[in-house]
Amino acid sequence: MKKYALYPGCVMPTEQYAYELSIRETFPLLDIELVDLEGFSCCGEPMKSVNQLMTLYLSARNLAIGEKQDIDLFVPCPMCHLALSECKHVMENNVEMRDRVNGMLVSEDLQYKGSVDIVNTVDLLHDHIGVDQIEKHVRKPLDGLKIATHYGCHLIRPSEIGRPVDSENPQKMETVLKILGAEPLDYAEKLDCCGAPILANLPESALTKTGQKLQRVQEQGFDVFVDVCPWCHRMFDSKQVKAGETVASKLEVPVVYLTQLLGLAFGVKKEKLGLDLNLSPVDKLKIGD
Amino acid sequence: MSIVDLTSMGESQAELREEINDRLSRLQDEVSDYCFQCAKCTSGCEAHKLLELEPHKVVALLKRGLIDELVNSDVIWTCMSCFKCRERCPQKKVAPVDILFALKNMAVASGKQIPGKYTGMLQSILSIGLIQETQSVITRDNKTNKREDLGLPAISKPVDAAKFQMVLSKLAVEKV
Repeated sequence: MKKYALYPGCVMPTEQYAYELSIRETFPLLDIELVDLEGFSCCGEPMKSVNQLMTLYLSARNLAIGEKQDIDLFVPCPMCHLALSECKHVMENNVEMRDRVNGMLVSEDLQYKGSVDIVNTVDLLHDHIGVDQIEKHVRKPLDGLKIATHYGCHLIRPSEIGRPVDSENPQKMETVLKILGAEPLDYAEKLDCCGAPILANLPESALTKTGQKLQRVQEQGFDVFVDVCPWCHRMFDSKQVKAGETVASKLEVPVVYLTQLLGLAFGVKKEKLGLDLNLSPVDKLKIGD
Repeated sequence: MSIVDLTSMGESQAELREEINDRLSRLQDEVSDYCFQCAKCTSGCEAHKLLELEPHKVVALLKRGLIDELVNSDVIWTCMSCFKCRERCPQKKVAPVDILFALKNMAVASGKQIPGKYTGMLQSILSIGLIQETQSVITRDNKTNKREDLGLPAISKPVDAAKFQMVLSKLAVEKV
């Protein structure tokens, strides 16, 4: 059994409870032990437009908390995953900056050494656990379910920092979904942004981005839209009705987290996966108990 | 310490501005050496069609040193940080998204109004370490749930809030 500290970030543990519930329910079935640590804070990525040093400091702080307990971090949010990856990249390549940040970390009795690894939902499933292991747990295959995937911009770019999936043709979610019996299909808008990063200052435009992508997904007849990012999911699921209004379209696209579908395929009960918290019409799916 | 205090510390803000200026100068040297205005960044830009952001023009303006004009423009706040421009630059050296981050940092350090909900998020990070408090959510059949109702463990946040705040407040104004 491999152990990871679950680094929750902000959006998942304060409102996207379905992601956290389904993560805590499914990964232990795959021999992954999730440990909760005290003291984590925001990764800093949402503050990058305001003050980039703050982003770097906050990321280093969270990595140092993992290092103190000598445990790798499971980072389900792509935005956090990018912030922590970029922090590692900077700290490895810029000694002066590392010394400076470490000087600030002292007050909380922390230090960054660069000894912990970080994984996201997608590479943990695909690269570390592997599809052979996942296949052994499938009890209720998702036969023929036509799926549109959405990785989230921060999970796939910039590749120079080191991202868990390919920047132009990500396929790891597809590989996992095929093992579950589903039928993921590529579509032209697959790499389009959800709009969430400008929700803070330009909410109408942000929702228009969401609406435009979902509208195309709906037109192409997908059964379900699958994501792994709490920011994206908030746009596509929680705000789907509003997003539809911005493109004058009645959107009825079931949107679920990859970990929720994984749980359903493993035969986990719907309520344990937080499926009643999805606000998009997931009842249309007719899968699960 | 509130955001108003943070942004009105004249002396320290001057140092912060100097640091961001250095960062912009380095970016300016880079784009001058490498950008040949192919506009591939703009062709893939997520904010281009909807909000008329043209990353290659931002790069061109930076090349000419028109930093004040950029800092004072609302268009820098339309970037969705999708990183496609950085990923797809044929020179692999020009990253409009990073130029835009530096310009926005400069706008904030210069005491310009921080748009939208950024101020609220920053205040929340300063006080509890997270961009927001735990929210009540509703189910599809309109039942209200709190985090603890769902059997989730207590949320992880800074243990010693005072120490956390001290470093972070200093950091917002300190010379980098």
